[in-house]
Amino acid sequence: MKPLMYKEFTLSAAPLTYIFVAFGLMTLIPGYPILLAGFFICLGILYTFQFAREYSDVLYAVLLPVKKRDVVKARYLFVVCVQWAGMLLCGLLTLLRMTALREAQVYQANPMMNANLTFLGFLLVIMTLFNTLFLGGFYRTAYYYGKPFILFSIAAFGVVGVGETLHHISGLGWLNVSSGAGVGAQAVVLLGGAGVYAAGTLLSMKRSEERFEKMDLGG
Amino acid sequence: MEQVLSIRNLCKKYPDFRLQDISFTVKKGSIMGLIGRNGAGKTTTLKAIMNLVHPDSGEILFWGMEMREEREIRQGVGYAAGGVGYYHRKPIGEILRITKKFYPGWEDEACIRYLNLFALDPGKRLWELSEGMKVKFHLTLALSHHARLLILDEPTSGLDPVSREELLEIFMDLADQGTSILFSTHITSDLEKCADAVTYIQKGRVLASLETGDFAERYRLAAVSGKLTRAQRESALGVRRSKAGQTALILKGQEGPFREEGVIISPADLESIMAHLEEGRL
Repeated sequence: MKPLMYKEFTLSAAPLTYIFVAFGLMTLIPGYPILLAGFFICLGILYTFQFAREYSDVLYAVLLPVKKRDVVKARYLFVVCVQWAGMLLCGLLTLLRMTALREAQVYQANPMMNANLTFLGFLLVIMTLFNTLFLGGFYRTAYYYGKPFILFSIAAFGVVGVGETLHHISGLGWLNVSSGAGVGAQAVVLLGGAGVYAAGTLLSMKRSEERFEKMDLGG
Repeated sequence: MEQVLSIRNLCKKYPDFRLQDISFTVKKGSIMGLIGRNGAGKTTTLKAIMNLVHPDSGEILFWGMEMREEREIRQGVGYAAGGVGYYHRKPIGEILRITKKFYPGWEDEACIRYLNLFALDPGKRLWELSEGMKVKFHLTLALSHHARLLILDEPTSGLDPVSREELLEIFMDLADQGTSILFSTHITSDLEKCADAVTYIQKGRVLASLETGDFAERYRLAAVSGKLTRAQRESALGVRRSKAGQTALILKGQEGPFREEGVIISPADLESIMAHLEEGRL
């Protein structure tokens, strides 16, 4: 796996994928649906798929002395690494907003979702959607990515909509607090998101490995 | 002689095409040409051998091992398809640098030797290379990890005669050093120059898999000025028009109906054999 991962990061990755991780900085934008940071980080990963298809990466990879399913595993691990880099950035900025910037004027009376543990949980759900709908959809053919990305986009915007709506519902205001008792409950949302992410990504990866193993590749 | 690659009854069905019972063997240090007209199944056969497409049935053995031993087998096999490449906008030096990490047996000295021999500049990108140089790049890559079997899909198509000749000489040098080569082509003169054996595929079936010399030995070409008689046409494997009249491909030993005045019987070359067998009777 080590040479494959090296190939993913140095040969297959589109530079824009790394640059788009910086969209995690959106976490700091006041009065903005900051969950879109998750969508943009995943949009950056799409460029690697475009790049790799243009370069016939699948043909290159399957001719290497590696197990075919490891080619899929390496791409999933690459995606997870990029997502984790994005999550790390969003997580640190969320921490900043929940502590040092808690009283900052620009974040007072914010009608949109605050950067808190709920936000991070929802981010993980968006990334899970990418790993299941986009990656899972791509590995049906190992070639077409348009429809899977549209499906992911629709679902991701749906999650952004839900995230931005829920805390306005009576009794669910705790979802949007940045301190106090609600944060403990938000930890459950974050853990739930992490669980969904781990399970969804693993299941999608296994399914994609099986499909790729059986796939006829045109080259 | 040691069998490097053995194909037995390989079958693959598509909605509009099928490979049926493809069987042949490639021996150590030999060059086998896979011929057939466009769409005959040459590329599909090579892709099935490389496990890029999955055969419905049949057996493919590399040095006696099945493709289940994929990682081990791919260490010893080099593959290139004419007109199909990867990472064409990356410098070839970068592709080599990353690819070598997958091959424990990679030898940098060999890589540099072949880069120099083929006059390949590591700073150039694949898309900047001519078709012939692209094939040489793939050969460099394969030979740097000491591939013992090269599988090449139409490596000579699109090359000028001098580059083709040069490439065929490289093939012969490699075969002399013990490397086995299986390559597809529809340029029959390439095979006459360098192939030890020929496998002829027609409409997804192996028509014949023989030593190159045995092909010519098997067939005769009968040329008549004017038209063939009914009896001659019926005993011919294929008939073609020529400027002077008609030519018929016949099996050696079945020249009977053609033994008459005005008919010239001569050994058939691969091109004539292919042209007549593919066209059938006029």
